[in-house]
Amino acid sequence: MENSASGNPPPAERVPFLVAADLQNDLMTATNDLDRLQTLLSDACSTLQRSFFGVWQGLEQVDAPVLAGTRIHLGSAVTALQFQDIASQLIEHLRRRLRHCTDRLARDAMAEDEDGAAALEDAPLRPNPVTQAEMDTGFVELF
Amino acid sequence: MHSILAVDDSASMRQMVSFTLKNAGYNVVEAVDGQDALEKANTRDFDLVLTDQNMPRMDGLGLTRKLRANPKFKSTPILILTTESSDEMKQAGRGAGATGWLVKPFDPVKLVEVIRKVVR
Repeated sequence: MENSASGNPPPAERVPFLVAADLQNDLMTATNDLDRLQTLLSDACSTLQRSFFGVWQGLEQVDAPVLAGTRIHLGSAVTALQFQDIASQLIEHLRRRLRHCTDRLARDAMAEDEDGAAALEDAPLRPNPVTQAEMDTGFVELF
Repeated sequence: MHSILAVDDSASMRQMVSFTLKNAGYNVVEAVDGQDALEKANTRDFDLVLTDQNMPRMDGLGLTRKLRANPKFKSTPILILTTESSDEMKQAGRGAGATGWLVKPFDPVKLVEVIRKVVR
């Protein structure tokens, strides 16, 4: 009763401590890798955007007919350059899920540790907000 | 020149939106989240609000409800530009008073077409 009241599994159902520690380590590594990926994406996107705007400024000096020919490519670039925002949301959602798994493991393996229970990060309440599997243009609906 | 309030917590998205709209001849003011947008909306008029949904402090639906409660923005077009594409979220947007729902990534030509359609 004591265990179920505190939300912890009974000792017989707990993940063995060493297994939990290994899993936690792997999950923390994955979480840290996601943080690095987030930084890499952000840096790469900033560079791409700076380059994009630099090219655009150069094109403003170009004759109108030539510019018209490149407009479709510029439009595609504007769509593709939105990848960082979409990928960033996807990574953040995944990071929160992994963090929740890490905390949950710690709580279950060290059930008596009240601090561990208190530090449990909430799992994302909503499904992943990013449903896109590719960078096709999204739909538009006017109400 | 029409003024548009572009709201997104992602700096890269704000840049892409601003670039697209400025090249289409609009004046663009950027806000980093719903709260920032609300503060900017209280100090000046806008012909359209284009907002992200998932943002810290105040999300797009919260911003839409707050703006609709202000007589100044009762009939201002509000477009939500988001990664969210579920019917449930769209209905929530409609219920909050949004004018339309656009899913990221946007096509610049289509975005400008939609804005021209709703901004008078």
